[in-house]
Amino acid sequence: MTTAVQSGGAGGDGALNRSSSSGLAEVVDTILDKGLVIDAYVRVSLVGIELLTIDARIVVASVDTYLRFAEAVNRLDLTESGHSKGLPEFLEGAQEGGAEKKVKGAAKGAIKAAGDTVGDLVNGGRERRRAD
Amino acid sequence: MSGGWYVYGIVGRDVEVLPETRGIGEPPAKVEVIPCGDVAALVSEIDLDQPIGRTADLMAHKQLLDITVLDAPVVPVRFGAVLDSRDAVTKELLEPHHDEFSAALRELEDERQYVLHARYVEEPLMREVLAADPAAAELAGRIRSRPEDSTRDIRLQLGEAVNAAVEQRRRADTEAVVAAVTPVTIATAVREPTNEIDAAHVAMLVTTERESELERVLSGLADQWDGRMIVRLTGPMAPYDFVVRTGPTSS
Repeated sequence: MTTAVQSGGAGGDGALNRSSSSGLAEVVDTILDKGLVIDAYVRVSLVGIELLTIDARIVVASVDTYLRFAEAVNRLDLTESGHSKGLPEFLEGAQEGGAEKKVKGAAKGAIKAAGDTVGDLVNGGRERRRAD
Repeated sequence: MSGGWYVYGIVGRDVEVLPETRGIGEPPAKVEVIPCGDVAALVSEIDLDQPIGRTADLMAHKQLLDITVLDAPVVPVRFGAVLDSRDAVTKELLEPHHDEFSAALRELEDERQYVLHARYVEEPLMREVLAADPAAAELAGRIRSRPEDSTRDIRLQLGEAVNAAVEQRRRADTEAVVAAVTPVTIATAVREPTNEIDAAHVAMLVTTERESELERVLSGLADQWDGRMIVRLTGPMAPYDFVVRTGPTSS
């Protein structure tokens, strides 16, 4: 099984972690919150999602946040300088990237465009959001 | 079984799905294309008595769209859209919005989304914050080796100061990402942080021929920030963050 996905010209040894698919939290954030909303569609029952969404959203500063930050500062004073504690969950996601790339490479081609839809296109009209 | 037609996204009419392609549900449902004029809907017939939203369903929805966008433009539909019948997909979704979808797909030709997610490394972040804020450093000294319950007020005060400093850094670092990628992207959309020590979370729409340039720019940033934060780039994926309704439905 080979992968058809190139990781671009940037080289694989840099600090940038490349990943072709997202972890669950990122998936939830992406497909429940973004994308086209159809006017009159049936909402089928969704299991487990509310909870996950809420988990992904607890970032608004609260007393808990403050206490965690204070604790992080306190830990800092107690640790030997230098070696920093990583972010296991976040790193795991990044490391999965390699394996997931293969999956995608294998799955690629499940869908194909039978022909080119449009050659030239008028590139105007649609408003594009640009963050300032 | 009461059936429904689950919609993943909108594609051009000449997109074909291999017969073995599977989507959401247990067992995973067959994925079909319902064409209408120049556009088509990617759908699965599902059993409405069976709840959806399991991890596998979420993953399947996103994977299908992300694989599709490797070969053809796609307008992603938000997870959970189901119509009554095959006929409703045509009559209620595709026909009334045909021109809108068609125009969007033309614009999205050769464009894909990436998401940059950067998170601070806790220890250097805290050192950085204390070094820049003597008042916070002083508070940190006052809680050291003292029991938690006797220092709660000081802890809250310290935590609040740290939080403000982190938010300020997040704003600056997010702006730096946006500024760095703007020359090589079509559009950017800043996402909400998903963690209190997130440094930047930015979705970017880029044409396929500039993808390697984008990656070079971001590699440069990541190298520059190495040790200070962990930077992850995900993609290519369908343009989830760049699909916006332009107005109320005309009917």
